[in-house]
Amino acid sequence: MPVVRMSAFERFPWRRVILVSLSIFIGIFVVYGSWKTLTLPEGERYSGAAWLDFVILGIAQGAILALIALGYTLVYGILRMINFAHGEIFMVGAFASYFFADAYLKSGYLNRHPVSALGILFLTAITTSVAVALLLERVAYRPLRNSPRLVPLITAIGASLFLQSAVRGFFGTATRGYPKPDVLTGTWTIFGIEIARIEVLVFVVSVAAMIVLQLFVSRTKTGKSMRAVAEDSEIASLMGIDVDRVVVTTFAIGGALAGIAGVLFALSFEQVNFYMGFRPGIAAFTAAVLGGIGSIGGAALGGFALGLLQSVGPALLLTGIGVPSPFQLKDVVTFAVLVLVLIFRPGGLLGSGGAEKV
Amino acid sequence: MAPLLEIVGVQKQFGGLSALAGLDLHVDEGEIVSVIGPNGAGKSTLFNVITGLYAPDGGDVIFRGESIVGLRPHLVAKLGIARTFQNVHLFPNMTVLENAMVGQHCRSKSGVVGSVLRLPSTRREEERIRVRATEALNFFGSRLSGYRQEQPAFSLSYANRRRLEMARAMATDPSLLLLDEPTAGMNPRETLELRDHIVRMRDELGLTVLVIEHDMRVVKGVSDRVIACDYGQKIGEGSYDEVAHNDRVIEAYLGTKAVG
Amino acid sequence: MPIGRLVRAGLVGGIGVIFVSLVGLMARISEINLIGTQVTGAYAFLALVPFAAAYISVRPRVVAGRLEELTAGRSVSFGAVTGLAAGGLVAASLLFTSWYGVERIREVFIEVTQELIDVLSFGQSAIVGASILVLGGLLLGAAGGGFRTLAPEARKVLATAISATLLMGLLQRIIPIAMLQLGLDPDWMYDPISSGLTWVGAAVTFFVALGAAWLWARRGRAARETLRTMTREQPGTRVVVGLVMIAILATIPWLVGSVISEVLGAVMVFMLLGLGLNIVVGYAGLLDLGYVAFFGFGAYATALLTGATLNTTTGSAAPALSLHLNFYVALPIVVLLAAGVGLLIGAPVLRLRGDYLAIVTLGLGEIVSILIGSNWLKPLVGGPQGMRNITDASIAGFSFRDPQHFYYLSLAFVLLAAFVSLRLSGSRIGRAWNAMREDEQVADAMGISTTRYKLLAFAIGGAVGSLGGALLAVRIGSLTPASFVILVSITALAVVILGGMGSIPGVIVGALVLIGLPGLLREFEEYRLLIYGAALISIMILRPQGLIPNVRRSRELHEEDRSQDKWAGDLAADEDTAASLSPLGEGSG
Repeated sequence: MPVVRMSAFERFPWRRVILVSLSIFIGIFVVYGSWKTLTLPEGERYSGAAWLDFVILGIAQGAILALIALGYTLVYGILRMINFAHGEIFMVGAFASYFFADAYLKSGYLNRHPVSALGILFLTAITTSVAVALLLERVAYRPLRNSPRLVPLITAIGASLFLQSAVRGFFGTATRGYPKPDVLTGTWTIFGIEIARIEVLVFVVSVAAMIVLQLFVSRTKTGKSMRAVAEDSEIASLMGIDVDRVVVTTFAIGGALAGIAGVLFALSFEQVNFYMGFRPGIAAFTAAVLGGIGSIGGAALGGFALGLLQSVGPALLLTGIGVPSPFQLKDVVTFAVLVLVLIFRPGGLLGSGGAEKV
Repeated sequence: MAPLLEIVGVQKQFGGLSALAGLDLHVDEGEIVSVIGPNGAGKSTLFNVITGLYAPDGGDVIFRGESIVGLRPHLVAKLGIARTFQNVHLFPNMTVLENAMVGQHCRSKSGVVGSVLRLPSTRREEERIRVRATEALNFFGSRLSGYRQEQPAFSLSYANRRRLEMARAMATDPSLLLLDEPTAGMNPRETLELRDHIVRMRDELGLTVLVIEHDMRVVKGVSDRVIACDYGQKIGEGSYDEVAHNDRVIEAYLGTKAVG
Repeated sequence: MPIGRLVRAGLVGGIGVIFVSLVGLMARISEINLIGTQVTGAYAFLALVPFAAAYISVRPRVVAGRLEELTAGRSVSFGAVTGLAAGGLVAASLLFTSWYGVERIREVFIEVTQELIDVLSFGQSAIVGASILVLGGLLLGAAGGGFRTLAPEARKVLATAISATLLMGLLQRIIPIAMLQLGLDPDWMYDPISSGLTWVGAAVTFFVALGAAWLWARRGRAARETLRTMTREQPGTRVVVGLVMIAILATIPWLVGSVISEVLGAVMVFMLLGLGLNIVVGYAGLLDLGYVAFFGFGAYATALLTGATLNTTTGSAAPALSLHLNFYVALPIVVLLAAGVGLLIGAPVLRLRGDYLAIVTLGLGEIVSILIGSNWLKPLVGGPQGMRNITDASIAGFSFRDPQHFYYLSLAFVLLAAFVSLRLSGSRIGRAWNAMREDEQVADAMGISTTRYKLLAFAIGGAVGSLGGALLAVRIGSLTPASFVILVSITALAVVILGGMGSIPGVIVGALVLIGLPGLLREFEEYRLLIYGAALISIMILRPQGLIPNVRRSRELHEEDRSQDKWAGDLAADEDTAASLSPLGEGSG
């Protein structure tokens, strides 16, 4: 048996050194970039009002991300899988509601009875998203419940492609303009701050949905079953919980939330197209990971945090150092956040912080 | 002479559960030491800490005079500590021979260039790996030799799987071999055969062996020393007879007196 | 009669037809004439659906622990019910559409046109069309049920013959050209006007395929065995087979003409990407969804190192970094740099498992995509307008912009990548990857540095991917960021998965099917993603090991049967060996 000694190379704590240097580099970058942006000459600098706008926008968009993120985190908690097609579920809800929205606009109903019109839009979106989510679960995911982890993931990717292409085939590639009721145009002044009305709606609806969800999960029997299955599905089934039912319910809830988010998104950006689910989908997943995947509070927190990072980040970090069109790189910020969170704190902000190895 | 392996005050907690609470033990070169204790006593955790799968919360693990705490598992293997697992962890879709050849990985160094071009040095090394792996397999007689070596590992019988795992560990040319309940699930005949194999490991191959075992026939038959653990601490040490009659040990086992 | 189950199967088939129609695929495939002008792709599909649905719904099922097969009568009648349901659903939607008004439906589902209705109603009125659908469904369903009652051998032979005929119809863009090149007259087989097979051609194909399949069923296995033994025992055979294959490969561009060679070029590029990704995903088990990063890097690095210019609205401009190296000098540099990029991409994901790994690599790939098209990097790589004037890598006057010449360059790279992959998979490195893929923690405990081997996989995979990018740059001569989007990563992944992870022949077949077929049939071009998505889902549910699973594994399993017998024979013959066996006997072996 050879007696082997460790070389210096092997003993060196490479990983720790690289991680520490990386954090230092990022720290310097953030501080430097921000400082340069905040010390720009008078004409080029962002005004206080502009920053406020960024923040409010960030919160509003973050709310939408949070709703989508909840779908990811709920499914992950139960099945330990990432529903890659969740962004498309969001998209179909928005798209379905478009047809009603368009009809209502043309008939004037949208502006005569905005509240009920909006209600129907939400309902349509929720119904469609839930239907697609359940179909997906039944056809693509349930048969693979016991397969090695790679298999459902690839299936989910395939489902995402398929849904996108199906919508593209059905309805065409043109971006449709999504109407906004007059009552939502313009701003309200709340606590002396002027906020776009649509942003207020987004915030209110999202938070309401999240509160309802939290109550549902913590107070109702179904919610308890969901938590049980998330902890240990085998034991839960031994305790008499119908795991299939719980999975279906989870997908339905995730779908419903995605549908709501879809309408809010469409109203905010006044458009829908078949591709709209992709980037928000990944951003929402990042938000879920950022907050701590598997945790409802984490998804909500992550959503808002990421929203802020997306809107404030490019402006703050990149403008000062002279990067042209910093908002083009909004998604670079998102992905950078994702990578960094998974390197440094895979459990997310609300997680244990430990390296969740394997 | 300094012991080959020294465990000094090692601690490991999982959540609120203390798996190892200040464990001390040492293994000298050429010994076969058995570790016994009721389930949950932290024995497997000890192996995981030694081989680097877990980092201990406190204490030190010293191998050949150097601390190996914090080293990645593959470095620990390279240094000469190999192990088997409580639940057999073979590479199921690789053949028996390939499983054993994996063991020789840390004793070889062909790189990309050599592999792609099949340089003479690479081919010689592959041959050497194959020979060593076959030797390790042949240690168990005809059970893992001949046509069996080309079978995928998942097709082996339970006992053969355990033997393969040991062969694989032996193929790493270790100085210290950690066996985690090697006879679990074997029938009496297989158990006795394995007991003899373990002794042969020391006598023919000069390996030092640290064994976790529940079957006292094996413990009695192989051990130079026995260490008893409970709740993550050592509660008795000595020859088999000494430990078998140790009151604390008997108590830990709830009255299970060792079978003579 | 289990009406519920049968009707459900039929309805699923019917929904499939409706889906294909709504998505617009039906209209497209109705433009492909397979046989004459009567059997279009659409009609072939319409016929296939009730047939297949019926065939599946009458399959033997396990009832009370026993596998129960249906009698012939029941098969046919059950099948008819399924077919009826399928046809009925489509007929109902047809009637509904005509009643409700095609134009009104078109406002939502843009592909519902009068042309589509005409196709579905067989050129007749809606009611007549609906009746044909119902009746046709019934009959074809019955046929499908009846098909089930044939002997398995007969089924296989017939199915092969039918598929071969349809395939020949689909290959209408290649075969006639090849025949012309070989000096044969294709007109008897392919109608020059409608492009599809003539009825004569179809009949000939059918019977030839029938005969070949029947022969194969009888003699095929033996023939394969002889070939295999010959290749193993007589080294000369291997050389001959190799030469034959090389000869075929070399003459393909000449055979299929310039237009198809273009498609072939795309196939080659994706074959290369597939081979590279196969190392990362198939060998090392790392699900990389950001492979486009290497592809893009290879393309743009090649452009920058060989003196390409930025494409601006006013013409060309020099990039911020520009060298004027010869392509073949720049190439190794690009590959090495790409390996470095591989290390950069691999480093953050070392500790991540399956799902997270996929998403993070996706993100990293997206970062590269975004940066390529960004205004920030515009001075370097040209922003949205990209770059142009890339070298054509010509050697001795052979420009590789020409599709047929390009084929040879790409073939060389593909062979190189395949060779490297093959050697690696059979080496110590391949063993380490296998072990890592099967059980990472245990591999680590056995002395394999997972860090090193993961990084190695990314580096090599990245290097191969960059070759693909370099090829693309040379072939087109210009680059735009639009070519470097996530679609590339997903396509490469689909190629690897469909073909079989870790299988080199699988990648080849995957590329041919996923890139070649849509390339040959322009009608499918728009629906590529739809097909990829459906293919991924189906493969994962039906055959996760892929079309051509890792050959090594299956070969080993067959090898074992024969070697076991041989060993036992030797053993019996040698009594000394028998006596020296372990004293406890072979019992527990």
